[in-house]
This record gives sequence, C-alpha cells and structure tokens, in this order.
Amino acid sequence: MDWKRLDRVRREVGPVHLDLVESYAQGKLSRRNFVRRGAIIGLSAPFIGSVIKAIGRDEDASTARALGNIPARRTAGQAGGTIKIAYQTPAAALDPVAMQDLGSYGIIAQCFEFLIGLGEDGELAPGLAESWEPNEDGSVWTFQLRQGVTWQADGSPFTSADVAATMDRLVEAGNAALKGVIAAGAVDTSDPNVAVFNLESPNGSLPYLVSLFNAQGAITPVDFEVGTTLDASPNGTGPWKLTSFDPATGATFERNADWWGGQTPLDGQEAQFFSDLGTMVTAIQGNSVDAIVQFSVIGGDALLNSPDFTVLELEATTHRQIWMGCSEGQFVDKAVRQALALTFDREQMVSTLFQGHGVIANDHIIAPFAPFFNDSVPQRTRDVEQARALLAEAGFEDGLQAILHAVDLQEIPELAQLIQAGARDAGIELEIALESGDTFYGTQWCPPEGDPPCAGAAELGIVDYGHRPFPDVFLNAAFSTGGVWNSSQYSNPEFDAAFKEYQASIGVEAQTGAAGTLETILNEDVPAGVPFFYNYFSGHSTRFQGVRVSALGQMFVEKASQV
Amino acid sequence: MTRYVARRVALSVVALFLLVTIVFLIVNVFPSDPGRSIAGPFAPQETVDKINGELGTNDPLTDQYGRLLRSTATFDFGDSFQFKRPVGDLLWPALGRSAKLVVFGLVLTVPLAIAAGVFAARRRNTIVDRSIVTLGLASSSIPEFVSGVTLQYLIGVKLGWFEVLALAPQGSGFLTQLNYLMLPALALVVVYFGYIARMTRAGTIQALDADYTRTAVMKGLANRQVLGRHVLRNALQPTVSVIAIQIGYFFSGLIALEKIFNYPGLGNMIANAATKKDFPLLSAAVIVVGIIYMLCTLIADLVIAWMNPRARLEVGRA
Repeated sequence: MDWKRLDRVRREVGPVHLDLVESYAQGKLSRRNFVRRGAIIGLSAPFIGSVIKAIGRDEDASTARALGNIPARRTAGQAGGTIKIAYQTPAAALDPVAMQDLGSYGIIAQCFEFLIGLGEDGELAPGLAESWEPNEDGSVWTFQLRQGVTWQADGSPFTSADVAATMDRLVEAGNAALKGVIAAGAVDTSDPNVAVFNLESPNGSLPYLVSLFNAQGAITPVDFEVGTTLDASPNGTGPWKLTSFDPATGATFERNADWWGGQTPLDGQEAQFFSDLGTMVTAIQGNSVDAIVQFSVIGGDALLNSPDFTVLELEATTHRQIWMGCSEGQFVDKAVRQALALTFDREQMVSTLFQGHGVIANDHIIAPFAPFFNDSVPQRTRDVEQARALLAEAGFEDGLQAILHAVDLQEIPELAQLIQAGARDAGIELEIALESGDTFYGTQWCPPEGDPPCAGAAELGIVDYGHRPFPDVFLNAAFSTGGVWNSSQYSNPEFDAAFKEYQASIGVEAQTGAAGTLETILNEDVPAGVPFFYNYFSGHSTRFQGVRVSALGQMFVEKASQV
Repeated sequence: MTRYVARRVALSVVALFLLVTIVFLIVNVFPSDPGRSIAGPFAPQETVDKINGELGTNDPLTDQYGRLLRSTATFDFGDSFQFKRPVGDLLWPALGRSAKLVVFGLVLTVPLAIAAGVFAARRRNTIVDRSIVTLGLASSSIPEFVSGVTLQYLIGVKLGWFEVLALAPQGSGFLTQLNYLMLPALALVVVYFGYIARMTRAGTIQALDADYTRTAVMKGLANRQVLGRHVLRNALQPTVSVIAIQIGYFFSGLIALEKIFNYPGLGNMIANAATKKDFPLLSAAVIVVGIIYMLCTLIADLVIAWMNPRARLEVGRA
C-alpha cells in the first residue's frame, strides 16, 4: 500500500468518490468491481489507475476485465479498407427514439453517440460527456460535455440543448430505463458545455441510464423531430456517416472526417442484414463477411473453435424470465411459484443450452458479477420433494396442469422442454405452446389491451431479456408495480420501496445492502423464475483487430484496422 | 387472335379485381394496431391515435377499400408501416432481385431439362432413359432448401468456387452477379430439372407415337424437321403451361432459398410483411405476384396457341 499516494488521492475527491476508494482500500470490493463502480460515478481512468496502484492489491488480472472484450495486443494495422459486418435485419425503420431491436441498435450506434460510451475494458467510458459526477445524495448529476463536437448534417456544434431535447423526447416516448428517473425539462442547459440532470429522486445508476446501454439514449440534435429516421435524414456526431441504407439488404458507412476522435483507420464499413444465424455463420466461413455482431452457441458453435475467427465473449446479463401470474390463475400463491422454481435444474440448463458459457441465477435479476451483487441470499437448487410439499401446502396435492407459452427463438424451445421435464417430476404437467414472435409478443406477453402494456395475458410464459449491465431496467419495468414489462402483474409495496432505496443509494454498503433486499424479495416471491445468465458471443475474422462490442447488438470499429 | 388477347386481358382485369378484394379481406381479418406498431409499445395512446388517424386505419372499410383499388390502379401504395418509406422503394428492388434469380434459374434449368426429356423419350426404355427419369425423380424430391444448403457448403465454403451469398455488391458487373447467383440457381436446377424433364419426356413420347408424326416420317421429312415441326410443338405444350405456373411460384415461394443465401427477394418480403402486419407492403407485393401469375399464364396460352394449330383455331372461334 502506497499510503502517501493514497492520501493524495483521498484529498482530491468528494464524499461519494471517497466512499468507493475506502471500500476498495478496505478490501470490501474486488478490483473489477471498483473499476465498474468508479466508471459509474465518473472517476476518470487515470484516477482509477492511480488508486489501484496506490493500494497495490495483487489480484488475478482476469477478474479486472469482462470476458474477452479486451482486444488482444494490437500490431500496427494497415490503414484503409472496409469491414463487412453481419447484422440482424432491423425490425423497423431506423428511428433512434422508438427502436426496439438489436439490429437497429447496432446501426444507430455507428452515427449517433451517447453521453457515455464503451471503454476498451468493456466498462463505461467518456463519450459525448468527458466527465460526470453526482451531488452528495445522487439527485443531481453534472455532465461536462465534450467541446469541438459537430453534427454531421449541418456542422453545428453539439451543446447541452441537444442533450436536454433528447431526454425530453425519451421521457415523452416512455423510455423504459428513464421512466420515473427524470421528467420533461430535467436537464438544465444554462451552460452549453454542461448538462445538469435534476432527477425525480436520487439515483446512483444514472450514468448507465444515459450510456450506450440504454440504446435509445443516443443523443440526437435539438431540432430532431420524433419519427425521423436515420436513413431519411442521415446525421449524428459519431465516427461514421451513413451513405446508403436499404432495409432489406444493408447499409454502408464512410468515415466522418470531422469526428472529434480523429481519423478512423478504416475508410468505411458495410453492414449486411441477415435474418438467419446459420446463414451468418456460413457467410463468415465463406469469407463473405468479416464480422458477426451476435451469435449463439447453438448454431454458432462452428465459429468457437475456428482458427480464422476471433471470438469476443462477454459476460452478460442476457437471461430468460419464466413469468408466473401473481394476480390471477394457478400461480397466485407464491408457494406454487417457488415449487416450479425448485424444479429447475440450473446447472443442466447452462451446460446443455450454452455449453457452460453462462452462470446460474437465483430467481432474481442481479447477476453474481454485478458490482453490487449481494451474496447473502442462499442459492435455490433443485429439490423435487420440497416442490411437492409446497404444492400440497397450496392445495395442489395432485399436482397441477398449465400451459407454458414460449417464443420460437434461439434456445427457448429447448429451455421450455427442460422446464417441462423438470416440472413433471414434481407433478406439474406443462404443455408447451411454442409461438411465432408476433403471436407471442403481440398476444401472450403484450396483449393488445394490456395495462401496463406487457401485462402478460398468459399465466405462465418464457420471455427473453437482452443484456443490461445494470438491473434498473429489469427491476423497474418487469417487477415494479405497473412496470411496462410486468408480465406477471407482480405488485409488492415492499419491493417498490426497496427499489426506490436501491435507486437512491450511491455508497458501496448502501448499494449492496439495497441489492440484498431486492434479491431476497424476488427470490422469496418468485414473480419470475430466473435460472441463468448467459454470455454474449460476437467476433470477427482474424484479418481484423481492434473490434469492440457491447453485448447489446452494437459493434464499434472506429479503432479497428486490418492486420 | 386480337380478339382472343383482348378477352384474356379483360379476364385478367376481373381476376385482378377479385385478387385485390381478397387481399383487402385478408388484411382486415388480422387484428392490428399499426399506430402502436410504429410508435412502440410504450408510447402514449394519443401518439398512437394520431398516427392511426394519419394512416387512415380508423376510416370506414369502404373508404379503405376504395383507396386500395386506387392504389392498385396507380401503383402507389403509400408508405410501408414498418420502414416508413414508400412501398415502391422496397418492392421494385426486391422484384428486380427475384427476377434475376428466376431468369437465371430458368435459363439453366429449362434448356437442360427439355433436352434431357427429349433425349430420354427418343431412347425410351434404354438405360439412358431410365437414368434420366430416376435421377430427375430423386433430385426433384429433395426440397430446394436442402439442396441449397448442401451446395452452399460443398461448392461455396469447401471448394470456394462460387460466392456463398447470392446478393452481389452494388454496381457489380454481369459476370460477378452470375457468380453470386450461381448456387441458388443450381439449387433450382436440382429441384426442377427432373420435373420438367419428365413432363417433356411424357409429352414427347406421346407426340412420337402420334399419327401425324408417323405421317411426317413416312412422307420423307428429315428427322430434325419431324422433331422441330411436329413433335416438339405438340410435346412441349404441357411443359410450357407448367413452366408458366412455376415462374409465378419462383417469384414468391422461394422463401427458404432466399433465406439460406440471404437474398432479399420478393418471397421473404411478403413473409416479413405478413408477419409484421405491414399491410401496404403486403398488399402491394401480393398484387404484384398476382399480376405476374396472370401475365405468365397469358403468355403461356399465347405461346401454346402459336405452337398448336388446333389451339389457334379455337382462338379464332373465340
């Protein structure tokens, strides 16, 4: 421990930052979680580095990074050239405010940027905001904006007015991450180079909510009209300019010579749209594309051991929720919900469905690798006898029968079968109803007259959730009373209060404590079974280097080059 | 002949009117909320209502039907719900791509299959005949997506002879485009060679056994003249009808093949528009495919009338 350096560091920071430094110094945090938390509350990379150096704890370097997202040591690449990237076909027009699919997220993120972007280590890093910090209770966050940034369309400068207008549009559109966090007019724009966010209530995760991990949070210009699409009106502050777009085939981008980050090594990039994973994999094998934004273990296993392909594997919170209706139907009694959760063979699911590339979960959505994960909640394991006893206690001595609705997507059909087989042992007979995406999302998950929108017409179903490095969106949308994705129609005032407390907590102990309460409540109530989190796979040909991905359908190639 | 053509065109217009009506009924059977689809699940209801008002989806059905008829007459179907751009911007490029694949597939398949069918018929019950029939039967029983995947892996990935995806980069030359389209076109050859060859063989055998062929041979015509003037003109009429119907299917039905080769043709566009309930795009695409069917059958009838004097006679009476 370099006490002299540490003391100097301590004198430089405010109370929120100091709490984090002290927690790390006292060994309450791993280095990896210190880096993550530091990024959230706006500690700069040099500052984080100096703290780590001062404390000098010897830790396995692998814990300090997301799996595989640190690019291998780069050689001096060749300048010029174009990279061809396989994207999932965007589901709709490229509307940065209303988009809901990974295909659109990826394309939008090439041109529009976020206040907070992605660092080389996979953590938050300065984007359009150079730095940020909260006030003492986390109710006001101040973002120092990058200067010298201009809009591609007319060369006008990027200012806090753009940030304020973007946030107002997101509030109006009911953005799932920002709902209840900010209201219209929340951003003070008195200084064009500073955006001051005045929150509805204290919130320790705001930087995540305005980062690239809230894909709709891309900053659009002040005069942007809702409904404008990127292809109809190409614009942005980012490293790439959209030069052509065809919703059926793909898009092309050229380097933005005025980008604040300097000149990109590549001249351009070409996005090719695919609707089928098998075809994407074949395209990589046949050298028709150079990179693939996302693939799964099932169907993409040929790439995992290919010597010509660099796999980017990210530890992610991508997961499935087996929702159980809490307001009506056979699962109203939490004993029944617990019983079904007790029939899950979680290890088998991770090994069968993802060849071990994932971690088991404990029926709550705070992943074990989250910086504020509280490990005090005992892991639920398969126990058929206890499941039977709980069913009997709830009046289902002879078992029960139910329909398990599931979307025909990726590994979900196989997951449904594993759930069905496991549940049968406890006397729960499940009939699997496998449906197309439109039928499932349009009728079972988000029924036409649903209130809230995705109130879940079915009493039991499996729904897929993409990666979010922070659980706020899941907690807010899927479990809060009236949440827009609350398909189990779960309502627990105790949970709602705990969520508010979690949102407001900033210090290490407060956040971990609040997370523990949430974990306990969800594990006990089981509005949704959450059996695992699985890793995100992406990758590129070994002919390229410097490619980064976000686990949310976004691939960044502004620093990529040909080997 | 002119009268016949005019009558067929008039019948096609009636059929098109019926098709538009059926499309309208199908589209309105689906429960849908285009405004919600466009604005997203979390948008306020006022925004959704405003969009629906602009789209006219709340108008009386008679008004909407009238609009669809006008759209068909003018070929202006408005904007795609899904992509917020004119339907024509999406439809015509997809139609062009499908046309390229269909034409190239037919150019490879039809001459080869007809030649094989005639060859087999003239060597009836020989090992060559049996081989062609058996090979054709076997190959046509393989679904095109199976032959497509196999060709893609063996010839595209392993041997690297042709591109594994079918869509050539923008601005590619003619030969480059053929290189990209080769594998899906070969998949069509595998499936349809046997079907057309057997059809041709059966027609040719029947024509070879006919009295008029015997007469032609007995009056001393050269084999080539007998085959060209008498046998093929009669033998190929069923084949022409079958090919005409297949062309319509090729435009809209090669969904699996388009998916395997990531080729954004009309088939996948229709499937996608139906799934996403993008009714302007769906209506326009189905109507265009209907028109292609009608044109193909009309052309086939005219070709048959040209080939067959008896058919011409019936046309004259009509």
